[in-house]
Amino acid sequence: MAILEVSNLKKSFGQLEVLKQISFEVNKNDVVAIIGPSGSGKSTMLRSLVHLEEIDGGSIAVDGEFIVNDGVYSKPQQLKKIASKMGMVFQHFNLFPHLSVLENLVLAPKLLKQGSTTEHRERGLELLAKVGLSDKADVLPAKLSGGQKQRVAIARALMRNPEILLFDEPTSALDPELTGEVLQVMKDLAKESMTMIVVTHEMEFARDVANKAIFMDNGEIIESGSPSELLTNPKRDRTKAFLHRTVRN
Amino acid sequence: MTIDYLLSILKPMLEGAQATVLLFLIAIIVSIPLGFLLTLAVRSAIKPLAWLANAYIYLMRGTPLLLQLLFIVFGLPLIPVIGEYLVLDRFVAASIGFILNYAAYFAEIFRGGLLAIDKGQYEASKVLGLNRWQTTTRVILPQMIRIALPAVANESVTLVKDTALLYAVAVPELLHFAQTAVNRDFTIIPFLIAGVIYLLITLCLTLFFKWFERRLRFD
Ligand SMILES: Nc1ncnc2c1ncn2[C@@H]1O[C@H](COP(=O)(O)OP(=O)(O)O)[C@@H](O)[C@H]1O
Ligand SMILES: [Mg+2]
Repeated sequence: MAILEVSNLKKSFGQLEVLKQISFEVNKNDVVAIIGPSGSGKSTMLRSLVHLEEIDGGSIAVDGEFIVNDGVYSKPQQLKKIASKMGMVFQHFNLFPHLSVLENLVLAPKLLKQGSTTEHRERGLELLAKVGLSDKADVLPAKLSGGQKQRVAIARALMRNPEILLFDEPTSALDPELTGEVLQVMKDLAKESMTMIVVTHEMEFARDVANKAIFMDNGEIIESGSPSELLTNPKRDRTKAFLHRTVRN
Repeated sequence: MTIDYLLSILKPMLEGAQATVLLFLIAIIVSIPLGFLLTLAVRSAIKPLAWLANAYIYLMRGTPLLLQLLFIVFGLPLIPVIGEYLVLDRFVAASIGFILNYAAYFAEIFRGGLLAIDKGQYEASKVLGLNRWQTTTRVILPQMIRIALPAVANESVTLVKDTALLYAVAVPELLHFAQTAVNRDFTIIPFLIAGVIYLLITLCLTLFFKWFERRLRFD
């Protein structure tokens, strides 16, 4: 069953048409890899899903409930409730620098009054253990490596138990030797059947972990399908050209 | 010069220093929050409000503080009809002048602090479900304070020295008593003492802000 339905999504910045009639579906437990050249609209698409961008037309529905239906947004309360089913991990982590690692995790649940302080703490420590950072609970983000920061950001996004986790190039800001630890956490999540949409340049990750791949170019979905098929045997010329360039790099 | 003489002029000068410190405390405690409200007004989506706040800041920073003080203390009472209701205690009037002036400077400092905060902080807060108020008070403000602190410290030291402008509106303070003693006794000593007292005040302030900066540091 589709947990996320996106249809005819349109978005422009001024004269620039960034998303042109984007449609796709994500099923429960899917891991979707989104690939495509820089500037093709991948981030804008992801950001639209969590309402960081306002779209100009089309629909987005989670669990059959519309965030936006044919260009008309739901009421703020409803919108917030539906959007809360999605978590997001950013390229640049966006941790709160003035708060310790554990405080980063518990801030939102505390302010949203979901459960007790003890519950937040326990859940936070549990998630830190899961991403291998139990010993960093009381440390400020500035003391962490990039890979550690991104793992904290993933743990923070998991605090709300999202049904879908979105990643926007989670390893692109990292030194090459630090990408492995982040990808490993994401693989573990995939094994636990977390539904994920991952914008990535890591073709190996897309092939090994994703069960669906989408190639975007110039605001359109050019091709989608199983990752092995799309990555080794692309049908469209633009996909071929992109993969050719990426492999050579 | 004897110890007795030193003690005899120190007493009124310390009393004058009380006025200096009191004005400083009043000005800083009120103008910092007021400055922050001004910053919010400048960034407000309500255009006329933003425009007014900008005009206010421009006016306050573009004219001498001394002129503003003279205007409030001696100028306002001269306004026809309403002037007679604007005769305030001179210390109170001067405090208002300092508050209005320094709020504009602090607003500029805070605006710079807000500009330095990455937009990713707002985005992460929104995706985590925080509303605007929670984002401002729990995510943005603490970072802004940390970023603005060195500039706030600097401005505070300037404020201590600016309190000497009370002299010009005839409110007795530290400098007033020093000048009186110099005229009466034909000695330079009271000026030196005044300088030392100012230095001690700014030293305390500097140490306080250093300590505060260390406590808030997160980089
Ligand atoms: N806030 C914005 N204002 C104007 N143009 C933008 C904005 N955000 C993105 N764009 C433009 O939209 C296009 C798609 O950007 P983006 O979604 O970031 O692509 P990708 O993530 O695939 O690199 C680019 O041309 C980019 O310059
Ligand atoms: Mg991008």
